[in-house]
Parts: sequence; C-alpha cells; structure tokens
Amino acid sequence: MNSLDRVFAAVKGEPADRRAFSLVLSLYGAKLTGCSLSEYYSKPEAYLAGQRAVVDLVDPDILFTPFALTLEAQAFGCTLKHFDTAPPNVIRPACKGLNDLATLRAPDMAKDPGLRYLVESTRLLAREFGGEKPIAAVLTAPMDLPALLVTIGEWIEALLFNFEVRDELLGRASNHFVALASAMLEAGASFVATPAVFINPRFLTPGMVREHVVPPLSSAFSRVPGPIVFHHGGNPLAAHLDMFKTLPNVLGFALDHRDSFAEARAIVGDNPVLLGNLSGPHLPGLSPEGAYDRTQAILSEREADPRFIFCTSSADVPWSTPLETVKAVGRAVRDAGREMT
Amino acid sequence: MTQDLQDLQEALFEQIIEARRDKAVELLDSVGAGKGFSYAVHEVLEPVLVEIGERWAKDKLSLAQGYVAGKVAEDILFKMAKASPQSDGEKKGPVVIGNIEDDHHALGRKMVAVFLAAAGWGVVDLGNDVPPIDFVDKAEELGARIIGVSAMMLTTAENIILVRQEIDRRGLSGRVQLAIGGAVINLRPELVDTVGGDGTCASAIQAPALFDILWARSLAVGEVSP
Repeated sequence: MNSLDRVFAAVKGEPADRRAFSLVLSLYGAKLTGCSLSEYYSKPEAYLAGQRAVVDLVDPDILFTPFALTLEAQAFGCTLKHFDTAPPNVIRPACKGLNDLATLRAPDMAKDPGLRYLVESTRLLAREFGGEKPIAAVLTAPMDLPALLVTIGEWIEALLFNFEVRDELLGRASNHFVALASAMLEAGASFVATPAVFINPRFLTPGMVREHVVPPLSSAFSRVPGPIVFHHGGNPLAAHLDMFKTLPNVLGFALDHRDSFAEARAIVGDNPVLLGNLSGPHLPGLSPEGAYDRTQAILSEREADPRFIFCTSSADVPWSTPLETVKAVGRAVRDAGREMT
Repeated sequence: MTQDLQDLQEALFEQIIEARRDKAVELLDSVGAGKGFSYAVHEVLEPVLVEIGERWAKDKLSLAQGYVAGKVAEDILFKMAKASPQSDGEKKGPVVIGNIEDDHHALGRKMVAVFLAAAGWGVVDLGNDVPPIDFVDKAEELGARIIGVSAMMLTTAENIILVRQEIDRRGLSGRVQLAIGGAVINLRPELVDTVGGDGTCASAIQAPALFDILWARSLAVGEVSP
C-alpha cells in the first residue's frame, strides 16, 4: 500500500497494512534544507524542496501546503513580520478598527504574491507527490480571518455588539475561503484542513456558536468543491462536536491532544475520520524514546478505531524539535505494524 | 447577605454569561437609581466579577463572557462617574500599562484597564506597540510603581526583556514592579522568569489583586536613591 491507499482505507474504515500517520512538518522543511524563511514562504520551489526533505526524513502519509495563514491576511492589507525560526505573523492589522473597513483590500487570487505562492506550492506538491500521498491544503477558517484583519479585540466586539460589521466581515472571509479552497483543490490538493479558533466555546458562548457561527460556516463549507478536515485550532474540541458534526463536506476532525478521542467518536459516530493525538508544539520537550513510547501508547489506545489517523495536533512541529525525535515518531508507527485486520 | 441581594447577583451573573450586556447594565442601572451606584458596584457587581474571575481561571468561561463582564463594568463605572463626578474617591496608583513593541493585540490589555479602573486604580494606558523605553519614561514621569506589559505571541513577549533591562539600568528595580500578561504568558508561565517579570495573573479580572500585591511590594522597597 502507498500513503494514498492507506489514508483512503482510513477514510473508508477498511483494513490497511499499518496506521496512516503524519506530522505537521510544514515549517520543518525549511530547517531540513537550511532555507531562510523569507525564501521558504515566498518561493514555491523552496517549499517543495523542504517537503522533499520531510519525505526523506520520515515519509509521512499526508503532506501539508504552507502553514502560513497570515499570508491570507496579508492579501487583505495586513502587515507581516518575518522570523528566523517561525512562520510570519501579523504585526499590523489591515484596518485600524471596525469603522475603517473601507481600507480592507479585496484580495486578488491571480495577482497577490502570497496567495499565488500558496496555490503554486500546492500545485508543485501535487505534481510530485499527489499520485502517492494526499496533500492537505491549510486554510484560515472564515470565522478566524477577521481576527487577523481587525485584531481579536475588534472581532470580539463585532461578534458581540456590531452585527452589521460581523456579517460584512464574515461574508468577505467566507468568499475568500471558498475561492482559495477552490483554487488549491484545483491545483491538486486532496482536501482542505482548516484550523478554527472562533468556533470554540472557550472563546464564544455556546449560544453564539450555534446561532452565529455554525450557519455561516455551513454555508461556506457547502460551497467548497472538496472534502474538509475541521481542525481544533489549538483548543479542546471533542466535547463540542455535536455542534459541528453535520457541517457539509466535513470528512473528519483534527482534535487537540487533550481531547478524548473516545468521547469524540461517541459524539460524531462511526464515519468521520479523527486525526491527532500528539501535541506538535510539545515535541521539542520529548526525547526520541519519549516520543516513540507516546506514539505507541496512542496507537494502542486507538487500535480498534479504523478511521483514526495518527497526526500531530495544533500548530507546526517547532523548529527546535530534534530530528531524532521526529524520526522516532515515524519509527513507532512503522514498528506498530499492521493493526487492522 | 439578604435574599434580595443574592437574587440580584445571580440575575446579573446570568445576564453576563449569556453575553447580554444591555440587560446587565439595565439591571445595575436600576439598582443604582434606587440604592446608589456605589451599592450597585460594590455589593452587586464586584462579587459577580469575583465569581466570573474564578470561573475564568478554571477555564469555565469563554473569552466573550469575560469581555462582556469588562464592558458591563466599564459602562456602569462611566454612569457612576457621570452621576457623581466628585465622588470617585481616592485613586490608587497611578500605574502604566501597554502592549509591548510590535504587539497589536489590545483586547487583554483593554480588559485589564477596565478591571483596574473598576478597582480604583488610576490607569495610564499607552496603547499598542509601545517601545520599552517609553514604559519606563512614563512610569518615572508619573511616579508609577507598576508597569503592566502585555504580549500575545512568543515573538513579541521576548521584547519584554528590554523593559526589564531598562528598569534595572535606571536603578528602579523593586521600586518599579513589572507585571506581565497575555495569551502566551498563560500558555508558558516560565516566560515570567525568562523575561524578568515580577508577577502575572491568568485573567484580566485577577489583575487588581496582582497589582495590590506588586504595589505593596514596591512600597516595601521604598524609594531608590539615584
């Protein structure tokens, strides 16, 4: 079986030669190739070279497009700051406040350098690896993009008290999400993976999520011409999955390492794929032996679940993670061998 | 506590956790009209804020609910000041707060300002993207004993070290206490030591208690000779 077969087997709940696995090693490719991040996050060829190195290192079953969500914000007019060992971050929002939305730029998929980079990186990855590995297109959720464009504080203000602005921002973010998702799927992505923060009752009240988050998300997701993996966005999600389990086009849920996968499975039923359960940002603190043991323990715990894919959760595996620790995760998966008969 | 007061507190708590800012303010307004704003703030609002703070610290409350609590406090304090501008009593402080250079995530800082003001602190808010030297300049100018610095991301939190260094360079260590906060500090508490903070707290609602401690600590140090 190749990676594509293995992941499809997980999607269908069918037997596989071993558990499908991946690590979010988008950033890590630059470390492996010694590429500066300004080049890595602007030249699709540099990104492809980094992902080739990731495949050489650990041969994951799923590859990710650049985990650089702020490039989408930049297309709307945000100012980014680049770092030596971390993805770029928004340093200035696209507009000064909710009364300044007129200054928001309308992103042009064909001309904006950051968006072109995301689509072209997808195309290069799919051309080289698409026949044997699924490519996950990483996109900002429609509910989260406004927080980058106007700051978290202003977005909370709009969500709570300024419904006209809330709806305008959500409309723009949803249209952008659908357009970019469509372009990346057309370029060869197998599915969309979208981390979502402003969907979580840790940020909003459950009533707000039900009334104001789920309907626009449902509308946006229904317009995406491909499957979607709904990602926890760094917060526990399992207990709230009843609110999201009927969203259209959702193939599966990527959960937080603190989540109970058994609870999640009980809520969503048998069909959706569940991905996790090793914290990516905590990997630098694990020795290779610790990472190996933790991976095997997770695989053992989820042994009976055919639609489980082992993956790191949260953000990218940090730059500081030792190579041996990353390799130990892959080795643990392979050593576990065939688990589903 | 009387049953009436308990009912009022429960009703206010309910309005806030359902994110009904207007209803919460209406309730406090009507209490203020009958028994005075001081009663509305100290007997009704403050215990509710304490309860909200405790739940927030235990991760039992959403950011939106905490934000609404701050807005309700802000609204009622504004009404109180308008109703009796001469009666705002003796202010504590002043203290200086702001987001560190390169940081534009104002939400937490604004909430801290509201809760500090509700607790009687005189707050000078320098805003976003504040150069380290400006924090210390303003604290010296005003005689502030606490500088509160907020950062959301690891990359900006590291700039707080420069505030620490500036405080130390001017011989103000101890006399000027450095409070730090923000999402990344909550996630990685070891950053308090890394960047040289004198204290932190998990939520904006807990900021007044932290500032009381830091102010007392500064007074214990006394004045520092140049």
